Amino acid sequence: MVYIHHCACVSPQPNLLTAQTETIQESVDNVLHVMEPKYDGIPLGVLRRMGKAVRMGVGTALPLIHKHDKPLQGIVIGTANGGMEDCIKFLNQVIEFEEGTLTPTNFVQSTTNAIASQLGMMSSNKGYNITHVNRGLSFENALLDVIMLLREHPTQAYLLGGVEEISNYNYNIDHLAGSYKKEIISNLHLYDSKTDGSIAGEGVAMFIADAEGVGAIAVVDAIKLLPADQVDEIVVQLQLFLATHLSEGEVIDVLLTGENGDERLNPFYGAVEEVLKGATVARYKHLTGEFATASALSLYIACQVLESQTLPSHLLKYPSAKKEIKKILLYNNHKGVQHSFILVSKI
Amino acid sequence: MENEELKKTLKTQIIKYLNLMEITPDDIKDDQVLFGEELGLDSIDSVELIVLLEREYGIKIQDPKEGRKILVDVNTMVDYIVANRTR
Amino acid sequence: MGDTVALNRQALSSAHCGITSLELFPSKYSETLRFGEVKITNEQLKQKLAVRDQGVTRTTLLAMHAFEDAVRQSGLTSTEISSYDTVLIGANTVGGMCLTDELYHDANNDKEGSAYLSSYDIGSVNLFMQQHYGMKGVGNTINTACSSSANAIMYGARLIHHGFAKRAIVGGTDSLAKFTINGFNALHILSPEICKPFDQNRQGLNLAEGAGFLVLEREEDVPHKKVYAVLSGYCNANDAYHPSSLSDNGDGPFLAMQGALSSAGLKPEQISFVNAHGTATGNNDEVEGKAMQRVFSTVPYFASTKSNTGHALGGSGAIEAVFSVLNLVHQELYPSLNFDTPIESTGLVPIQQYIQTPVDHVMSNSFGFGGNCSSLIFSKA
Repeated sequence: MVYIHHCACVSPQPNLLTAQTETIQESVDNVLHVMEPKYDGIPLGVLRRMGKAVRMGVGTALPLIHKHDKPLQGIVIGTANGGMEDCIKFLNQVIEFEEGTLTPTNFVQSTTNAIASQLGMMSSNKGYNITHVNRGLSFENALLDVIMLLREHPTQAYLLGGVEEISNYNYNIDHLAGSYKKEIISNLHLYDSKTDGSIAGEGVAMFIADAEGVGAIAVVDAIKLLPADQVDEIVVQLQLFLATHLSEGEVIDVLLTGENGDERLNPFYGAVEEVLKGATVARYKHLTGEFATASALSLYIACQVLESQTLPSHLLKYPSAKKEIKKILLYNNHKGVQHSFILVSKI
Repeated sequence: MENEELKKTLKTQIIKYLNLMEITPDDIKDDQVLFGEELGLDSIDSVELIVLLEREYGIKIQDPKEGRKILVDVNTMVDYIVANRTR
Repeated sequence: MGDTVALNRQALSSAHCGITSLELFPSKYSETLRFGEVKITNEQLKQKLAVRDQGVTRTTLLAMHAFEDAVRQSGLTSTEISSYDTVLIGANTVGGMCLTDELYHDANNDKEGSAYLSSYDIGSVNLFMQQHYGMKGVGNTINTACSSSANAIMYGARLIHHGFAKRAIVGGTDSLAKFTINGFNALHILSPEICKPFDQNRQGLNLAEGAGFLVLEREEDVPHKKVYAVLSGYCNANDAYHPSSLSDNGDGPFLAMQGALSSAGLKPEQISFVNAHGTATGNNDEVEGKAMQRVFSTVPYFASTKSNTGHALGGSGAIEAVFSVLNLVHQELYPSLNFDTPIESTGLVPIQQYIQTPVDHVMSNSFGFGGNCSSLIFSKA
């Protein structure tokens, strides 16, 4: 059981939960860039070195760290690419200056554990510090890690987060690899598009988690990570997951999926929706774009929805008559081969 | 007078290479200790400044420890540049 | 050092140093710096592993080589490997960035991509292996710089401990790359000579490549198997001081070592040997030495096997875990090479010759950029 006490998010929308159709930020050239706030707590001397992923991650997490009444025991981050922009900037220097004298800042900032380690330094946290980098299951592994940490240290609290940046460089690579649509579309019509690929996005969600329910806004009951590429297998595993983690009489009220407009992945989402007929179905990637740790933002949305008991209409795919929202199932798949189920409940 | 121009240019370059935020060339005094409290520079910055000297002035410094003796303040840097520049 | 455990043991026992100039790919620094290079080409690796897929990086090939060796020794059946309760936890820091030119082209060009488009990120190694070996359990990759594979071993062990897995195949890999060579060189911590860990006159580290894998299982599941060693304790802690160097008093290393002892239920004096992180940088060896003096009232035998292999970054924690297991299986210790003069502030002297001696518990340290400090303890089976 992972009780979420505080959470924060920076995404391509001013607010994922209150965005209405007329104010949703639109994608440009199939990319949704984050709307970054002015971050408190990052001294200029430190900020000057930070690439976007590090800035987003640190800027979003720092206020949370100081909010919680318990000191944090550790920092657990999931990111597939870390500071990709810095990585390529350094690489460009290597090529352009033919391995001559080079500046180290881009190299140091490009390491995927720069976010977690910077947070450790800035909050003087000497506890557990880790970065999970397994592409579409990076955030899920971070969450699984926190589940284990809280069993090992039930009186402690941990920072959990997922972050990803998009830069011209990694957009190029992913675009050439077929991750994004060849034709330019608008995120507002993401789900109407019947072609391969999605649109690119970026964002960060951070959470303070501990093992105590008092004062929490939501609880993560269970998680399943699945490397799989067959729809049948997903269906079987989902049924097993539900049978294991739902008690007699309990049902899923909301299914929040990572549907992203990529026609190749729709069979998976369709099959999961079929298993959970009767649930309200919602989706969010028209607001965030697609990226490896987007599921972190889905957990943020779930926590907000459970706390407010309101599911905004701009997230809805299939409404239902349900009044109370007790259980939300998050289902995401990354490129059809990395799948996850996360069960989140009302306190 | 030439040195005054060079000092101004160098200060602009320092700000650019170190990405110093909300600081203008006028904010950096000629005799202000670079690695003191005010600017908050560290060992990674000293390496960056060594790269600046090479890229902008063609001066190669092999050992970072040697570099710290030159990187005391803008005055010492300018003196070293004038004596050793190849660009 | 060799491409089998036996060859590595032979090299360690005979004080062999595998650090040379760079031969397999061109770099400005091929002759001026020293490297721990695996003297096998990618084509040879692909042939040996029967890999015909396009876009498989050297980082992945080295990992596969070590993985297959470990799995063969463990006697795991293909059903067990594909089972939902067998997890694959890897680590690396380079991913596909060993392909400098292809990455430069793909990142800066939007017309035509190379075969490696899905092979650049850190996760690509593990993802390829999961798919190649038909693995269905939890897969993960950890990148915490030089402590990555030690943390991967820890994560795999904890998954078993908490019932999320019955078997964990854990380890790490890294390959030499222009990217890392230039990155470390820009920080002025590479040595032009063969590295001298714990020596007063050390000049920095030698970058290396390599991979190590271990198969972890629960004791109750393996009564019929030969058990090499027991992973009895572990800890990860953070120095929280600077992005690329450790604090003077070494809180991070101290807390990691102390935490590992506590998790193993051992007193410091029960440790027979420490396989130190010992990169031979000015900062690490002095701080690690001081931290050992804080933990141990008498510092036990210790050595840095990086004096034999160089520093294989994401692979080093796992490689050194395998070396620690060798100490326990064969009840022997290998000398730390290239040492002349102790560091003034600590006076510590690493073990200088091969000895056969009772070895009960071995501690293996790995400290990464960002103050990430991990310590593992292996014990005699």
